[in-house]
Parts: sequence; structure tokens; C-alpha cells
Amino acid sequence: MGKRLSTYGPFIPVLALYVIIFLVGKGVQGMWQVMAMLTFYCALGQAFNIFLGMTGYVDFGYVAFLGVGTYGMALSITYLAHQGMTGPAVIIIGFLLALIFPALLSMAVGAVALRLRGAYFAIATIGVNEGFRYLIEGAKIWNGSEGMIFTSELNQVLGRDTASGLSTFWADVYLFIIAALAALVTLHFMRSRIGYALTALREDEDAAKVMGINVTKYKIIAFITSACFAGLVGGTSWALKTPYVFPPEVFEIHYTIEAIIIVLLGGAGTLMGPVIGALIYGLSKYYLSIILPGFQLLIFAPIIIVIIIAFPDGVMGVVKQRLRGTSLARFIE
Amino acid sequence: MKKAGTLFKITTLFTFLGLFVFSSGAHAASKIVIGHPACLSGKYAKAGEQAVGGIKACVNWVNKVYGGVSLGGKKIPLVYKYYDCESKKEAVTSLIARLISSDRVNVVFAPYSSGLTLRGAPVAESRKMLYMDHGGANNKIFRQGFRYVVQTIGPATRYHEGTLDMIKKIDPSAKKVALAYEDSEFAKMVMFGAEVHAKKLGLNVVFKRTYPKGVTDLTPLLSAMKAARPDFVLGGGHFEDGQLFSRQMADLDIDVKALSLIAAATLPAFYEALGSLAEGVMGPSHWEYGVKYSEAEAKKVGLPWIGPSQDEFVALFKKAVGKNIIPDYHAAEAGAQVLAYVLAVEKSNSLNSDKVRVALGDLKFMSFYGGWDVDDTGMQVGHSMVDVQWQAAKRVIVWPEEAQTGKLCYPMPTFKEKAKGKLAVP
Amino acid sequence: MLLEQLAGNLFQGLVLGAVYGMATMGLSLIFGVLRIVNVGHGAFIMVGAFVTLWLFTALGISPLVAVPVAFVVGLGLGFIFYYTAIKKLIKAPELASLLATFSIGILLEEVIKLIFGSEFRGYNWALPKIDLGVTVLPLSKLYACIGSIIIALILYLWFNKTRAGTAMRSVVEDTEGAKVCGVNVDRVYANSFAIGIGLTLASGVLLTMFIPVGINPYMGGSYTLKAFVIAVLGGLTSPYGAFFGGLVFGLIENGSYTLFALIPGVEPFALTRFLSFLMLLVILLIRPTGILKGK
Repeated sequence: MGKRLSTYGPFIPVLALYVIIFLVGKGVQGMWQVMAMLTFYCALGQAFNIFLGMTGYVDFGYVAFLGVGTYGMALSITYLAHQGMTGPAVIIIGFLLALIFPALLSMAVGAVALRLRGAYFAIATIGVNEGFRYLIEGAKIWNGSEGMIFTSELNQVLGRDTASGLSTFWADVYLFIIAALAALVTLHFMRSRIGYALTALREDEDAAKVMGINVTKYKIIAFITSACFAGLVGGTSWALKTPYVFPPEVFEIHYTIEAIIIVLLGGAGTLMGPVIGALIYGLSKYYLSIILPGFQLLIFAPIIIVIIIAFPDGVMGVVKQRLRGTSLARFIE
Repeated sequence: MKKAGTLFKITTLFTFLGLFVFSSGAHAASKIVIGHPACLSGKYAKAGEQAVGGIKACVNWVNKVYGGVSLGGKKIPLVYKYYDCESKKEAVTSLIARLISSDRVNVVFAPYSSGLTLRGAPVAESRKMLYMDHGGANNKIFRQGFRYVVQTIGPATRYHEGTLDMIKKIDPSAKKVALAYEDSEFAKMVMFGAEVHAKKLGLNVVFKRTYPKGVTDLTPLLSAMKAARPDFVLGGGHFEDGQLFSRQMADLDIDVKALSLIAAATLPAFYEALGSLAEGVMGPSHWEYGVKYSEAEAKKVGLPWIGPSQDEFVALFKKAVGKNIIPDYHAAEAGAQVLAYVLAVEKSNSLNSDKVRVALGDLKFMSFYGGWDVDDTGMQVGHSMVDVQWQAAKRVIVWPEEAQTGKLCYPMPTFKEKAKGKLAVP
Repeated sequence: MLLEQLAGNLFQGLVLGAVYGMATMGLSLIFGVLRIVNVGHGAFIMVGAFVTLWLFTALGISPLVAVPVAFVVGLGLGFIFYYTAIKKLIKAPELASLLATFSIGILLEEVIKLIFGSEFRGYNWALPKIDLGVTVLPLSKLYACIGSIIIALILYLWFNKTRAGTAMRSVVEDTEGAKVCGVNVDRVYANSFAIGIGLTLASGVLLTMFIPVGINPYMGGSYTLKAFVIAVLGGLTSPYGAFFGGLVFGLIENGSYTLFALIPGVEPFALTRFLSFLMLLVILLIRPTGILKGK
């Protein structure tokens, strides 16, 4: 029991936070969509953290995985509806595609780009994201720049009420599950050989190689896992919840930046960091947009610069340091 | 233990932050609230600011001049509640939910663009909330089976139809048309409509290409277009590419008889940026200062009239935004939407979304914005667009003939003549 | 007909490429010396464009004069950002410096938006044009091209003939070695960052001479992406590599349009973009030192 607690203990506070978010959304009127927005940021951060946080590699084109995940779900709904198929199977196939597409793309990208390091890797991944988008537009793949709008298809597949419930409630519930799963996988990685290997890699990749750690293998595992979660987030939040897909919107580089901010704010490589980061980021943006509409970015940019310089380890980095050696430490990762 | 306290505090802080949001939601029927997740920052900030100004102007008119909305024998004031969605989809849904639940709005006005309008639609639909679209032109929105979405802006496919009709009438010998639009869902839709209409008129589409969003140099595309020797050119997409388009046509000396660009060409910034090179360039617009819609005009065509006169609207708009600028069509269509809602509430004598929606379906009226009428799907069909041409640094409405404030200058002067200061006067 | 078009496009591409190359030199210089990728690069180009616009429309000063003015403004901005933020991030992981430079970019955009508004603006510097038969070239574009070449030459001479330039080069090649030889590395870092930003602002001026419209606070994004491709073509760490990378990029972007247009059923313009990012990936993989370096 004690051992299991120390292994999975840190998951308890993370889950507790998700439950709180869920309950606030469910219990307080008008808060559901706000909490859904926070969950999106949590899931985004949690998914990105698996790769960025654990390896220290900055994937600047991360949003591409959300993009192809979105396409996976959108294509499933659009084409299967046109084939006359109905029922939840369409959505399940959509989720499968939202996993397969990013998995394939991340394998392809991982096989080539992961040979690069540091800034070279960051630039290469920007290239992947932009290049993929222009390929879709230029070669008119998947309807090109016209994209797809599929509310009527979704209605046809599930019936009007179920489809509406899916877009406004169940999609958000799925996001909770995806975010929690991503956290669980993160913790599992941390507690397994992968985590140790990646920590060694993050500290000094060459030394890790010399020590005989198969660095490439673990990097690719983290990369693909992270990409698959991104695909699920995209397929859920940008397809089920947003019944359209236009290429410039799903390959929008700003989402990568938001994910980086969330991970960094909360503490890269920690388990609870992305949740804390998402809450700080999401709530402050939400309230700034209500209190000071139009000035969010002007206020945000300098704050982020200060945080990077003053607290490079993020909130959880600081908390972890202060809790070290106390009885609470085993609940925090 | 003290350290544990910090963690606990953080957790509770967020819980409370969450709870704070829900403010007192008790509204009597003493006011009618319009909710709007506006795009005040981010990529649609320009259009968003205009829309907010237009809505404020018309709300002001309804309250001060019209005396409020007649409902159940009483005059009830309108209230306008808006937040900034940053032109981002994540914020659109959360703000719409807040508007519906906390602010208890009676109608939601959609944010700018087809994408953001679509993002909010499922939330509005599931809450059975009337959702009025003044900034999403994609025709496909109205093929999705939404029940509460009603459009004020006209559909994208019709943007360039008037221009084609005009040129066909003025110069039947101009057969060769080039289409060069931005590669975006909206501009592609316009291009599709233009191509279909051009073929219907028996014109010959000699060039048809798109260019990506955020383009900084159009030289290769324009060189290819030049080689196709078109008589006139239709194109555009957004604001910055329109300026680039005309400027680089000038740089390459591509002279055509007429040039019409969507979005960019109707804005004052277009002329400011290009100077005399903008002379003679045209653009389709939903509304333009100088249109002749008036109470008398409404009587002539047999439509009921409501709202401020054009000059009143412009004055109210200036007051609302606190700047001395002439509103563009983004402001006018958002303002007209307020008037449509007011009429529908009065007609149905109810605030119930279903009843108001039915009333909107039957509604036909005219305002400073022009005609307003939607079909069964909620798509706008009663509003016709105008074509504007830059003549001597002024925007002149040249089409349709009944709305004209001046004659078309055709063919437009060559870029060489314009660089020497020649103005496009008919 | 087709060949004529291709020739015209290639010529235009060469002229524009020189300006693109110049607009990437600052990025490469900063990466070469500090090993920091300035993700806010485009925002500095935007500031340069606004300097030009303001000088021209408010004071009637020629864009040619705006080049040195923008350079000096850039030096100032460079020193300010170096000592307030960048200095502390040189040893930090990529994550920190990437996010910091991106945030600096956003800060610049929002400040400029606050001052000038978010309208799309332009200026009209009426100069004659030269008709070359296959294409037409306005003199302002020619000036921009010549200006770029001159600046690249000055930078080359400065790097090779002056003490400060040699110190900078030694840091690029071997930071530790330079330290041992008594080079004040911190000073070199500060100077390089400032000069890099100065060059970027100056290139903003030249770019507006090429395209004097569409000037607005958010115009930088697409230039940042272009600059990445060009910098990679030139080997990322070398400013003159970047200059030649620009020429190659201009040729490929303009030339490939004409060829892609021959394929039916595609959008050639978007494919030229695809091609440039494909090039970026391929070069990073097979030849991260750029296509121009001998070794």
C-alpha cells in the first residue's frame, strides 16, 4: 500500500484539481464553458508536458498534432455520414483516426527531426507545421483551404439532441478524461525506466548516451505519446466541440506558444505543473478579457518575460523545492 | 504544516475565483439584454471594434429616440453587454455561456468571422438562444440545420455578383475576367460565386488562382495574370493583401479596365496607404456612407422603415467609439441587426427565442443599412450589396443604379496616369 | 512565353531575395554569437517599417535616410532588451529564450498598436520605373536591393577588418577559446545582439521600400517564418550565409511558382510555401551548416 501510494500518490492532488474544476463547472451556473476552456488548456499543457517537460526539447510545431487529430475526427464524421453510417461508431472511428494521424505524423517527424537538437529542432518543427498546412492548401488535400463544416453531418450521425449534447457537454467531459489520462501516463513515465532515461537526457544528452542509455528510443516514445494526446485534444475540442475545420485555424502557431507558456508557468517536467499553469493562464486571460478588453497581451507579455527570468522552474518548481523533505513531498511531482 | 497550508490556499483560491464569477443573475423583465462576445483584440480587432460601435449606436437610438422596445404594452430599454473574445475560439464558447447564464441576455450576437460564429453556434443552440450573425458570411453555415442562427450580413457567394452585372451592362465587349483571391474559406466562397455568375453572364474566366494568407509578395501570381491579358480583375480576401494586390499591380504596370477587391478596397486606410494609385479601384460593400436608403425610399418599395437616418447613425457611431471616423459596413450590419431584433420582439410581443425567431423569419424591413429579409434557413436574402469606387479620394457608390451617388469611371485610368496624379472621374 | 515569365520572375526573385537576405542577417548574427533564436524577429522588422512610415509621412524624410535612423533605433532597442532580459537567458535552456524572445515580439506589437493603431498603412514614394522587357522594376525596389548589398558588404568588411568584428567572429567559432584570449565575451554578446537588432530594423526599412503597403503591428509573423527558412539555407550561424540564402530563396520562391502553375488542380502559390519549408527540413537534416559552406 505504502509503495503504491508513493508511486501514484502525486496523482491524487492532480485528480482532485480536475474534480474541483469539474464540480465548479457542473455546480455553478454559467461556469461550464469556462471550466471547459480551462480543461482545454490543462489537457493541452498536460499533453505537451510529456514531451517538452520530460525531454527539454522544444517542439514549436506541436499544434500540427492537434491539427491532424482534428482532421481525423472531422474526416470520420464527414465521410462516414456521407456513406450513410450513423451511431456512436462514427465517433469512435473518429477518435481512432485522431490517434492514428498524429501517431503517423509524429513517427515521420520523430524519425527525422529528433536527430536535431536545441534550436535546430525547434526550427525544424516550425517547418513541419507550416509545411504541412501549405501542403493541405496547395495540393487541396481534405478539401484544401475551404475546410469542412459538419454540424449537419454530426446531427445526421447522432441525431440532433445527442449531437448538441456532445458539442456542449460530453466533448468537455472527454477532455477531462484525456487530461487525467495524460497526467497518469506522465506519472507512469516518471516512475519507470523512461523517466530516468529522459531525466538523464535532459541533463546531458551526450553523457546519457555514453552511459549506454538508448536515448533515441525514449525520446521517440515520449514524442509519439505526447503527439497522440495532442491529437485527441484536437479531435475533441476542435472537431467535436467546434464543428468545422479550416487549415489556418488548426495549424495556428499561437497554440504552441500557449502550450509552452502553460508548461513553463506551472513548471516544466512536473506532474501538477500543467494544471497549475493552465489555471493561472486561463483564468487570468478570461478575467482580463472581461475587465480590460483589448489589453490582455500588452499586460501578459512583460509578465511572462519576468516570470521566465525570475522563476524559470515555474510554480511547481518552487513548491517542490519548498516541500522537499516534508510528508507532503510524496504527493507532489 | 505551514507549507501544506500554502498548497491548500492555492487550491481554495482557485475554487473561490471560480465561484466569484457567477454574479447576481436576477433580471426582471425591466430590460432587454443583447450579449456579444466581441472581437476587440486579435486578428479581427478592426472589424470587431466597428461592430461594437455600430451596436452601441443603434442601442442608443432605440433607447433615446425610439423610446425603448414595446413589449407587453410597456417601453423597455435595451442593454448591450459585451466581452472581448480575442478573436479566439476557446474564449467564444466560455463567454457565450457566461452571457446566457450569468448575464441572462435575451439574444446573442455572434463574433466576427464564419469560424468563430460556428464555434459559438452549438452552445447557443443547446440553450435555445437566438444567435444573430452579422459577421459570418459563409453560406455553409445555413446548411447545417441550425434553428436559432439568423444572418444579417449577406452570403459570401454574392459579393461580386453585382460587379459582374455592372461591367456586363456598361461594357459588353469586356469578356475576359481574371479571378485572384486569397486562399481562405471566405474568399474561396466569394470566388466560387463570382465564377458561377461570370459563366452565367457568358464571360470568359481567363485566369483563376489563389494566394495564401499572410502573403508578402504577389509578383509571380500577378506576372502570370498579366500574361493572361484580362479585361478586368476581381479578387482580394482581407485588408493587407488588398493593398499589396493593387500596389504590385501598379509596380508591374498591369493595366485593366476595372479592378474590384473585396474587404480592403472599401476602407479609408486603402486610399491612405496607396494614395492616387487607389483611384478607380472598386470594392463590393454591404453598406457605405452615402447610400440612399431612407424612409421615403422604403415607402416606395413598400417596406416598413425603422432606425436612425444615415447621418444620425454616423453621428451616434462617432459618439459611441469616441473617434471621428466614418463607420464601415461592419458597423452598419451589426447596427442593423439590433433593429431587426427590436422589430421581431415587438412583432412577437415576446422575448422567447422561439417566438422571436419565427418573427424574424417573417420580418421584412428597411433601415439605413438597406433591406433585410431572411429565408427559411436564416440566411440573409433581402439585402443587396453596393459597389464602391474611389474617385478623387472619395468613395462613390456606382452600383446598383438606384443607389448610385455617382457614375462609374470606366475604364479606370492606367497606373502610369495615376502615378502622375490623374484622378478617376467619369 | 513561359520562359519569358520565368525569366521575369527569377529576376524579381533575385532583387527581392537580396532584401530578404539582408532581413535575415540580424537573426543569423544573433544565433551565431549568442545561440539564441530570436523568435520575435519579425516584430523588429515591423518596428523598422513603422520608423520609415513615420519619418516619411510625418516629416517627409526619404526612406533612404530612414535606413541609418532605424539602425540606430535598433541598436538602442537591442541594448535595452539585452541588458534587461537576454543577458540572463544565454545559459538557460532553449525553452526560456524562445519564449522570452517571442514575448518581446508580442510586447513590441502591442506597444506599436497602442501608438499607431492596428490600421493597415502605407506610404507612396513615387519613383520612376524601369521597363526590362520581361518585367517592370520600380526604382524603389532597385534601391532596396542595392542598399541590401551595400549593408552586407559593410558588415563583411567590419567583421574582417576591425578588432571588434574579429572578436565577434572568434566568439562564433569558439567561445571558450575567445575567453582565454582575453576577449570580453559579455561585451561581444551585447554588441552582437544590438547590431543584430539594428540590422533587422534597417531591413524593415528596405522591405517597405520593396512593399510600401500593409504596414501594421502584426505584419512581422510571415517575415519571421521566411527568415527561418533563409537562415537555415545559409547555415544559421553566418550572416553572409544568410544573405546568399536570401538570394537562393527569392529565386526558388519566384521560380517555382511558374513551374507549379503547370500542374493542374493545385494552388501553386501555397505549394511554393510548402516547398520552402520542405527545403528547410531537408537542409537541416542533410547539411545543417547550410548549402553554401564548403565543408
